Amino acid sequence: MGLTRNVGLMTALRYKGQGPFLTYILHRIGGLGMAVFISVHLLASFISGPGGRLVNNIYQSWIFQIFIFFCVLFHAINGLRITILDLFPKLIPYHRQAITIEWVVFAAVYGFAVFTIIRTGLGG
Amino acid sequence: MEITVKIFRYNPEKDTRGSYVTYKVDADENDRILDVLEVIKGKVDGTLAFRRSCAHGVCGSDAMRINGRNMLACKTLIRDVGTNITVEPVLGLKIQKDLIVDMEPFFDNYRKMLPYLINDSPLPADGRERLQSPEDRARFDESTKCILCAACTTSCPSYWANGEYYGPAAIVTAHRFIFDSRDEGAAERLHILSETDGTVRCHTAYNCTEACPREIQITKAIGEVKMAMVTGKLD
Repeated sequence: MGLTRNVGLMTALRYKGQGPFLTYILHRIGGLGMAVFISVHLLASFISGPGGRLVNNIYQSWIFQIFIFFCVLFHAINGLRITILDLFPKLIPYHRQAITIEWVVFAAVYGFAVFTIIRTGLGG
Repeated sequence: MEITVKIFRYNPEKDTRGSYVTYKVDADENDRILDVLEVIKGKVDGTLAFRRSCAHGVCGSDAMRINGRNMLACKTLIRDVGTNITVEPVLGLKIQKDLIVDMEPFFDNYRKMLPYLINDSPLPADGRERLQSPEDRARFDESTKCILCAACTTSCPSYWANGEYYGPAAIVTAHRFIFDSRDEGAAERLHILSETDGTVRCHTAYNCTEACPREIQITKAIGEVKMAMVTGKLD
């Protein structure tokens, strides 16, 4: 009789899989973030009064916009990388270089977007 | 120098859950983790249980999590992981005792890939071997290197989530035969791998490729099998 084979979430997250595993985790966080955003967005349409205003204020705040833009942009760019490597398996040995390019593109676009969101959020 | 080794311990006859025990031992920076485990077992605590056989990275017996990452204890030097070392069993397989896991589900999945040459055609006229060009041999050369240590399969988050998934090692085994020009069982293996527990569960986390002690491009092999399933071509 041995210990169960189940792997808990925290145990899984502690596995040191390095760069590619980090993108795998962030891809799921991005997907989850978008699902939460869409759910809250839909929920806000059906809630009136102070509750509805509170939900609207949350997802319209610039802090939430920074978070949701991270989710959308990372999920999109990472998904594109995965799709390209899936379609061209010969490129898979270069996955680390592909991830580096992905981060460079992400940092440039996300950095510009965050700057714009903050400037707008602070009334600049 | 003195190193600190924290080892996961579990005795099924006494414990209901595992715990960690810390040992301090003298070692050289060029010693392997396996050497350290042998010292602990031989001189400090004879009850420590772990698998080993060839001790030279060929038999694949001593895959374990070293500082949070799957490695072979016999191929990992202290200088590569530091002097504070945590050793745990691999994930996703039942722990039998200390660092020993039940490998049977892993080998069940291996056997499902029909890991043998399938060819019912008559032998060549001379009645001897089925010849193959160097180019045809090179097509699956990398996947022949697998030593079935399970470092890849037990580092795969899809396998952690679902033990029914065949796992990277089994797919690499299938790849070895699917792309062998002498083999005639590719369609059968691709059919097996097209099931819900097959390649569709690979979400390209690359943990398998990173963990492989033989540096096999496992995700590439899985990608080639996926492509063969979609296109029906083995080129």
